[in-house]
Amino acid sequence: MTHESGTAGRTGTTAAPVAEIRELRVEVDGRAIVDGVSLTVVPGKVTALVGASGSGKTTTGLALLGEHPPGARVSGEIRRTAEGPIGYIPQHPAAVLNPARRISALLTDIARTQVRHLPRGRRRAAARDRVLTALAEAQLPDAESLLRRYPHQLSGGQQQRVVLAQALLLGARVIVADEPTTGQDALTKSRIVDQLRAVTARGIAVVLLSHDLEAVRALADEVVVLRAGRVVESGPAQRLWAAPRHEWTRRLLDAGRDLTAPVGATGGTRPVLRIRDLTARHRDGARGGTVVLRAPALDLHPGECLAVVGRSGSGKTTLARCLAGLHRDHDGEVLLDGVPLPRSLRHRGRAQLAAVQYVFQDARAAFDHHRPVLHQVARTAIRLRGAAPGPATREALTTLARLGLPEDLAGRRPGQLSGGELQRAALARALLARPRVLLCDEITSGLDTVTRRGLLDVLRALLRDRGDLSLVLITHDLDVAALAHRIAVLDGGDVVEQGPARRILAAPDHPFTVALTQAARPQTGAVP
Amino acid sequence: MSGLRSFVARRLILGAVQTAAVVLLVFALTEALPGDAAVALAGDQPDPARVAAIREAMHLDRPAHERLADWAAGLLHGDLGTSLASGRPVVRYLADGFGPTLLLAALTVALLVPAGFGLGVLAARREGGPVDRLISSVTLAVYAVPEFALGVLLVTVFALRLGWLPPTAVGYGTDLPGHPAVLVLPVLVLLARPVCSLVRLVRAGMIDALASPYVAQARRYGVSGARVRYTHALPGALAPAVQQLARTVDWLLCGVIVVEALYVIPGLGTVLLNAVAERDVPVVQGLAVVFGVLTVVLTLAADLVAHRLAPRAGVAA
Amino acid sequence: MRKPHTGGVRKAAPGRFVLGAAVIAVPLLLALLGPLCAGEPGPRTVSFTRGDGHWLGTDFVGRDVWQQVLHGGRPVVVTALAATALAYLVALPVGLAAALTHRRWLEELLMRPLDVLLAVPSLLLILLAATVFAPGATGLALLVALVNVPDAARLVRAAGTEAAARPAVEALRMQGETWWRIGVGYVGRSMLRTLAADAGTRLTGVLYLVATAAFLGVGVAPDAADWAVMVDRNRTGLFVQPWAVVVPALLIVALTTGTNLLFDAALAGGRGRGPARPATTGAVRTAPAASEVRT
Repeated sequence: MTHESGTAGRTGTTAAPVAEIRELRVEVDGRAIVDGVSLTVVPGKVTALVGASGSGKTTTGLALLGEHPPGARVSGEIRRTAEGPIGYIPQHPAAVLNPARRISALLTDIARTQVRHLPRGRRRAAARDRVLTALAEAQLPDAESLLRRYPHQLSGGQQQRVVLAQALLLGARVIVADEPTTGQDALTKSRIVDQLRAVTARGIAVVLLSHDLEAVRALADEVVVLRAGRVVESGPAQRLWAAPRHEWTRRLLDAGRDLTAPVGATGGTRPVLRIRDLTARHRDGARGGTVVLRAPALDLHPGECLAVVGRSGSGKTTLARCLAGLHRDHDGEVLLDGVPLPRSLRHRGRAQLAAVQYVFQDARAAFDHHRPVLHQVARTAIRLRGAAPGPATREALTTLARLGLPEDLAGRRPGQLSGGELQRAALARALLARPRVLLCDEITSGLDTVTRRGLLDVLRALLRDRGDLSLVLITHDLDVAALAHRIAVLDGGDVVEQGPARRILAAPDHPFTVALTQAARPQTGAVP
Repeated sequence: MSGLRSFVARRLILGAVQTAAVVLLVFALTEALPGDAAVALAGDQPDPARVAAIREAMHLDRPAHERLADWAAGLLHGDLGTSLASGRPVVRYLADGFGPTLLLAALTVALLVPAGFGLGVLAARREGGPVDRLISSVTLAVYAVPEFALGVLLVTVFALRLGWLPPTAVGYGTDLPGHPAVLVLPVLVLLARPVCSLVRLVRAGMIDALASPYVAQARRYGVSGARVRYTHALPGALAPAVQQLARTVDWLLCGVIVVEALYVIPGLGTVLLNAVAERDVPVVQGLAVVFGVLTVVLTLAADLVAHRLAPRAGVAA
Repeated sequence: MRKPHTGGVRKAAPGRFVLGAAVIAVPLLLALLGPLCAGEPGPRTVSFTRGDGHWLGTDFVGRDVWQQVLHGGRPVVVTALAATALAYLVALPVGLAAALTHRRWLEELLMRPLDVLLAVPSLLLILLAATVFAPGATGLALLVALVNVPDAARLVRAAGTEAAARPAVEALRMQGETWWRIGVGYVGRSMLRTLAADAGTRLTGVLYLVATAAFLGVGVAPDAADWAVMVDRNRTGLFVQPWAVVVPALLIVALTTGTNLLFDAALAGGRGRGPARPATTGAVRTAPAASEVRT
């Protein structure tokens, strides 16, 4: 019944909505996750649902597909005025690809339902043609060999495009995309944005669920701002950016805006940390391992904030892990005040351990779930500075409070804290060592815009208040990098450029940096 | 694909090492006999003639490594030595017992796979309903019961009280296929544990798979219910179950020994138990090697199938 | 994405818990208290009789079956418990050491021999040993423990490796915590749940093996007061005096089934109480971590 996907492009020019939600209310266990949300989905347009995590975006998006959380009470109206199915691209595309079946499995099954009208003998070939066409439309080259592979053999980007191909093959009139750009580096982001734009050019309506304001800015025609399940504000994107009516929208937009450059850049003093001829390898079966990082020289001065920027797999995390002594497999020297640091944590003394501290990307995984957070934070002072338990706990409490974690939260176990709160506790845990150098590995990725803003404020206050503390921010996010005095750009394991942050962001030299900064710039309107 | 090849190569090497280890272990155990092996094997009243005969039969006067070399060389030619008790070649014992055991095992496996997967999928489809609760409870309860206790109780009920089935295979010789009624109870008892374990695994795997995002996506995109169930959900649920099938080899082997003893079936298990009772070392050695190698080969096969079903798991191996 | 915990498992647990406890109570009480209230053994009379002052009749050598039942549980239960404890006593340090060491060769040295041992069918190994030695109850416990070590050690290693790979361990190392506190205080503690689940199935498996070995005459005297031995020896009189077989067989069934039900219910109840992880942040772990399937 749905074999008119070719005509979708032309009918899409009319502005009649293909789907509509009126006063949707979804209640689970007596708590409203979504309350009174209305939106219209128009062919060829992007409707963005914006809000922090837990604001009800995914629930609303799935309601369009007629899916609700288990045990939910749903009221309101969900109307699909146009014929045809709705496609869904989840935040983690790997989850909807069957790990035990080849890529071709579901695609072929979808195509099979569309070729029933053909004589039996021609169905197989026709189905295959359709699958290949859809993969080509989703910009997946080398489709033949791709179809024979298993999901785990594909990159994250390929997986996402396969899921998009499923929706295109289905002839979807509406595609719901859940956080497609979250946690991706700037170049990948811009590729995804282009791809979604190409989808709308085919007359398909896109419902974008995102807390990534850059992507929303680049794509959205209509914006619906959600907070705690309610619509705070909605309207055409242009109007909303220019003149947000609601206080919350303003805060959301502010949080996404460029952060001001830090004060008091230092220089001239002796560097606290120097890197000389660092080469790091990963052991992976190959003899001697693969070199993943080459850093000939990199200095860090007291009170300085250095951002290490690069795409995933560029070696930036390995760099930080080498400094922290967590990645033993490296050559070259890491000098702390001119004295070489032992390669492995195991051989570092207490003072050396305390001097270089590390904050992990996944705060939840970095805490012991059986002990109260306060107890774990205080251990740093006990182990690394020989403090007695009493004073250590008091110090932990004051540090936590200064980072915005009151006593009643500090006494809880990690399971009862949110991701942002845990990341603050992780910062406190590292700060209690009174470190000279604090390494922050993507500590804001995975957090929503408002929480991220809060955490960046904490970092900025740290730089201001603790004059001699040097920060190393590992990030793929240029907004975060803007916080730094200096930026080092990594690509494929090489430091391709380093220098003052303002200079790098405003006038990058290296072509890679140019591409990175351009991709990160808000792009509105431009159609490829 | 090179991942698969290196997995197979690694697995084959491990299998070969395991086989060699079984052979060595079996040989080493006889070496570990305290004092004079011949005297120890002759039993409670060692009569000098018998001790001498044993020493002669097992070449105990020669150094251990020579005997090992001889024995291993014999193994390669299919010569497993001669029985201490009867003087017959061990291979004859194996040949006699092979038929009934193979019949039992083949019947059990032929019923195990459809019953295990069928009941598992059925329970998963009716999750939480009365059918599921019944299947889950029964499998959980029977899963742990030793074959001999279950077998004895079944004999009491079906042979003694009801008189439906013969209590043992006594009097039927090796002509078991001609009397299917004799086989009903042994096969049932042999099936009990593996079926329960398989059903539980398939059920759990199916429930997980049916609730997974990838099955939701297939449903969402209009793939029919049966197709989703059997071509999308089941493959994901199979891998752990097949891995368990490998483990079942061990259970079947234990089960065969017990069931043959219980129902007096003249198979390999009975041969083994008799040889153990008579301390007939060459026969035990021969059987141990056969059973050991069989286990290694079957486990290997199951692992390869499981790897094919869950290619991702091999990455970690 | 946000899947609320279904309450079903938890609600079902108390009922199953009571059922498991009820099923196991009879054989367990008999096994533990039976020998105390058995009293003096009476004189031997005719084999396989019923009545005549013998509540459950007499056995193959004319002993009172009830007396034998009272005595016969303890060896099964005690041997099984000892074997399980012994297996973990070896498997825990070996598995933990293999999980925590950074030296590849040490890990191989610890684990590879166990892989080889895993290839030998468990009952076969016990029978092999029985051919050359005549193991007593202690010997049987040692043998059963031995065949359980490889599997238990692999489980401990897998659980330990998983826990040791978490950032929490690196965070503890950054805090300068001692090996002991990381290995036992964190990794060991994180494994408790997995180990508890394994202990249940392992105890059931050990009970099975101990009873079956005894039935086949390994590790027991031919006329021992042992439920499994009773089933074996009294089979000849099944037609005349079924009680001598049926009662011990039923007790063994109740013992193994009860253990299994009890552990299953306990773990199902515990699952609801697990470390609650509210999925509040956007960072939801997805890609099902390829659970370590090693060969």
